[in-house]
Amino acid sequence: MNNLLTQAILVTLVAFVGYMHSYVGSTMHNRPIVMGALVGLVLGDLKTGIIIGGTLELVFMGAVPIGASNPPDMVSGAVIGTAFVIVSDAEIGMAVTLAVPIASLVLLFDNFQMSVLLPWMSHIADKYAAQGDADGIDRVTRIASIGNKVVLSLVVGISFYLGVPMIETILAVIPEWITRGFDVAAGIIPALGFAMLAKMLVTKETVAFLLLGFLLTAYLGLPTFGVALGGLVVALILINNNNNNTVKEIDDDDF
Amino acid sequence: MTSNTKKITQSDLNKVFLRSCTLDSGWDYERQQHLNFCFTMIPVLRRLYGDDKEKMAAALQRHMEFMSCTPHIVTLLAGIVAAMEEENANSEEFDETSIPAVKTSLMGPMAGIGDSFFWGTLLTIAVGIGCSLSAQGSIAGPIVFFLIINVPGFLSRYYGLKYGYELGSKFFSDAKSQAIIANVTKAAGVLGLMVIGSMVASQVSIDLAVMVGSGDLAMPLSEYISWIMPCFLPLCTFILMYYLLGKNVKSTTILFCVIIISCLGCLVGIF
Repeated sequence: MNNLLTQAILVTLVAFVGYMHSYVGSTMHNRPIVMGALVGLVLGDLKTGIIIGGTLELVFMGAVPIGASNPPDMVSGAVIGTAFVIVSDAEIGMAVTLAVPIASLVLLFDNFQMSVLLPWMSHIADKYAAQGDADGIDRVTRIASIGNKVVLSLVVGISFYLGVPMIETILAVIPEWITRGFDVAAGIIPALGFAMLAKMLVTKETVAFLLLGFLLTAYLGLPTFGVALGGLVVALILINNNNNNTVKEIDDDDF
Repeated sequence: MTSNTKKITQSDLNKVFLRSCTLDSGWDYERQQHLNFCFTMIPVLRRLYGDDKEKMAAALQRHMEFMSCTPHIVTLLAGIVAAMEEENANSEEFDETSIPAVKTSLMGPMAGIGDSFFWGTLLTIAVGIGCSLSAQGSIAGPIVFFLIINVPGFLSRYYGLKYGYELGSKFFSDAKSQAIIANVTKAAGVLGLMVIGSMVASQVSIDLAVMVGSGDLAMPLSEYISWIMPCFLPLCTFILMYYLLGKNVKSTTILFCVIIISCLGCLVGIF
């Protein structure tokens, strides 16, 4: 049991590091691909952590914070999912089964912070602003910004500590078709993420490049890295052509 | 110029740079990034209005208003705002309502470009390359992922502030800088789309357990389908998802439907 406590503390710290990404430049190291590796590192199975991280990353692909929409809390999902698989030596697919529901649950908690606690802090800051007290705002901002991350990582750590024995009992009674179903879903869900990203980027002129990328990999078996390098060439050609065109247009205006 | 001319120093800008990194960390549903944007501007405001409580209060309140922008490029806006605040502090005639006006009118279009570049294109490329390395258990996966996001992220954060402050509100009326941004955004989008296409083929997997034919001639249905076209099912799934999103079906709804269908499929033996 002592062992579990140590692991829970390490897991809490990793989660805190992950949540802090938005305090140190939105570096996206809260994504499962990095979180999985960090959990693996502290729990002594780096390789498994990396592999699970990569799998979960694809599942959470479409989870991006744009405008007022907040994605499932992937830090908690990735951290607890990965940690559980490593600690109880479970199948890698189990990480997906756990990560998706956990991430959705913790988002509810985070939503409470973002709709009640943080606005409340902002209203305190408003009072300081009205008094011209910049130091007061500095204080409130630091407490609010770091505080909500402390709370979230404690939620992750405590859930892990209390949850692991419980998860093991629950998983023992879950029928095989459900756990296998999550495995199958993990293969399909990336399509949803890709569709969400494509929605952001597609225009009538550029939709052909989506198909080109698909065909290069489907028929020629080109790895994604190769396609990305090819895409870079295409992008550079486009930039060059467009720049020449705009320079001409500006010249035309001048004369 | 008189001795009262107030000038923002490089060290103020450095502080703005560091503070801008926290932009998303105090996010709330009411005014989104306002608290951290105000926090970001404070070093500048201290320099300009440090000796005048009333002007300081007005400036702080100005920046406590609603704010929503992509964190990696918010420094461009912060630079423009800093230049305007400087003008405001030094000139009686400056209309200070133009500061929130410019801020509000720029954050929308900037977020449009920035979100699709950083959370769209760049993340796609980083995931595409990172995950293929991670799948083999290589530590290069997360490291390469991190670098692809953060080298451009911190470069744009640094140069955004520099050019934003130097050009001030002129930045967006400058046709040349606008043309460059539009070009780079479009080209990067093309690269991102190619990577998405490639990943639809390599990362989406659907294996049907259904067999066709009988006895020794029995073959998995998946194999027949891949004769039509390799990765045909992943492509169809992708198109279906894209269509559903276009019909404004929520992504979480689709997510849970996929999980339910997968489980039921396993139960009846389709998968």
